[in-house]
Amino acid sequence: MSRLIALINGDEDLGRSVWFWLAAALVVLGFALLPLWESEFGAYNISFYLLNIPLALGLCMLWGYCGVLSFGQVAYFGVAAYVYGIIAGNMIGNNWGPIVASLGGLLACAVVGTVFGYFVFYARVQAWIVPILTLVFTLLLETFLGQTAGYQWRVGIVQLGGYNGMTAIPPFQIGSHMFMGYSFFYYALIVVLACYLGCRMLVNSQRGKTMLAIREDDLRAELLGYDIRRHQLVVFVLAAMLAGVSGLLYVQWGNYITPTQVGLLQAALPVVWVAVGGRERLLAVLISTFALNWFNYKLATQGNQYAPVYMGALLVIVMLFFPRGIIVTVAEFFRGRRWKAT
Amino acid sequence: MNGQLVLRTEGLEKRFGGIVAASGVSIAVRERELRCIIGPNGAGKSTLFSLLCGIYRPDSGRIVFKDRDVTSLPAFRRVQMGLGLTFQTNRAFHALSVRQNLAIPSRLQVAASSQAAVDRYQYALKLFDLDPASEAPARQLPHHKLQWLEILMVLAAGPDVLLLDEPTAGMSPDETLQTARVLQSLNGQGLTIVVVEHDISFVREVAQVVTVLHQGRIFVEGSVGEITANADVRQIYLGRA
Repeated sequence: MSRLIALINGDEDLGRSVWFWLAAALVVLGFALLPLWESEFGAYNISFYLLNIPLALGLCMLWGYCGVLSFGQVAYFGVAAYVYGIIAGNMIGNNWGPIVASLGGLLACAVVGTVFGYFVFYARVQAWIVPILTLVFTLLLETFLGQTAGYQWRVGIVQLGGYNGMTAIPPFQIGSHMFMGYSFFYYALIVVLACYLGCRMLVNSQRGKTMLAIREDDLRAELLGYDIRRHQLVVFVLAAMLAGVSGLLYVQWGNYITPTQVGLLQAALPVVWVAVGGRERLLAVLISTFALNWFNYKLATQGNQYAPVYMGALLVIVMLFFPRGIIVTVAEFFRGRRWKAT
Repeated sequence: MNGQLVLRTEGLEKRFGGIVAASGVSIAVRERELRCIIGPNGAGKSTLFSLLCGIYRPDSGRIVFKDRDVTSLPAFRRVQMGLGLTFQTNRAFHALSVRQNLAIPSRLQVAASSQAAVDRYQYALKLFDLDPASEAPARQLPHHKLQWLEILMVLAAGPDVLLLDEPTAGMSPDETLQTARVLQSLNGQGLTIVVVEHDISFVREVAQVVTVLHQGRIFVEGSVGEITANADVRQIYLGRA
């Protein structure tokens, strides 16, 4: 038990004080009581701000903790979403179809991530090439999915649908209960919290320390006895599966997916969410992903076409003035003041 | 005093383009030996270390570590077998805290390594006077402590054979002497140590055997007295005057 607490409250993430945990508990309580202060439609929107968080946490671990930048997280988002759509669509009418489809989507992410990651890391591809390879993979996937229009591109009874995408994807369901509205919100909230706590325990474990060592100096890490290829692959596959979790939540939320979701613009956005919050801290990424998705959604629903421009400008400003991320910089500032005070 | 052969090479060759970095290098290090490798700049000392620990693969020749041919073994496997290396330029994790630096190596190896290796680490920790719980970033340490930190990190992984590439570079004479004393004690506790070093006073202090490298070849090998008295060694260091 004390070991568990040490893992959750380790020093590789922000927030270790009693006050932090009290505040966190209040925030979670606020979300848990959402039906008291928000309509079902509002809950539906807030679910959307939450659902990209697992993907961002995966990229945070991969990039911020392990030093491997990927532009390809949305590819795994897409793989999970499409696989879910295919399986759940074919099992329609079966109460357990969505669960089987979710597991299938995650498995597909793990397999694709392992194959891709194996060739990248075991070939000891230089670090700066990895973002390019992952981006190319995403764009290939988008191109492939984009040309799947037509009746011949179907799996069972589900059509892939080309650039129009896959529609009428079944919502998540356990037994006879379908997760929609408030219940989808609770489901998304629990999934996101579980992903966050799991990641937090991972980065505070010995494996997390090894990730830092690889980020700082991979040769030094290898010469302390670590197989860095294997460590990088494990984190890469984990990040792919976390992106898959977001992909699952996305199609279960909106019931459709198009190839645009794995396109160039979507591929760049996770990097912005992670960089703006601060890639070296999971909590910062969690907060910034929620906030930026909220911001993006508000702009988009008001018909504002400039959301990507704002995101790009934000990234430039953060890189220039807060290279470690806004939230991390602020947190360090307050921690520094507290040290001086004592 | 000398034990079994623990690390030996047979006819190592390594070229980088037209430059011969190692040519016919055959050395044999025994258990509990403290050996210094000296030689002018570009003699191939660091290349030899890189070959020994697996950063480079030799073009030809063999490396045998603990009776096992490790020539084609990746670096981390050799480390897991009990080899440790510090780099010529300090490569402790400067952005991480001292505590993190020392926590990183201490998993698989310590569990597998001998109690003697654990004792040596604890002993060195005390003598090098570093607080293993310090949260200060390693980059704030003075230069000599940073060098000691990297040695400690490597010791935390529990090696039996330690390769040190110019550990006292940039240290004051006092710090150099202190480093020499600690290394001698560790050697006395069973650690085999091979040091690349320029500082001849350090070599005089610690070396049991000295190997002189010159232009990628072994020039001469012998005790400190023999080497310092050798006119040819003086000549390669000072030029052909």
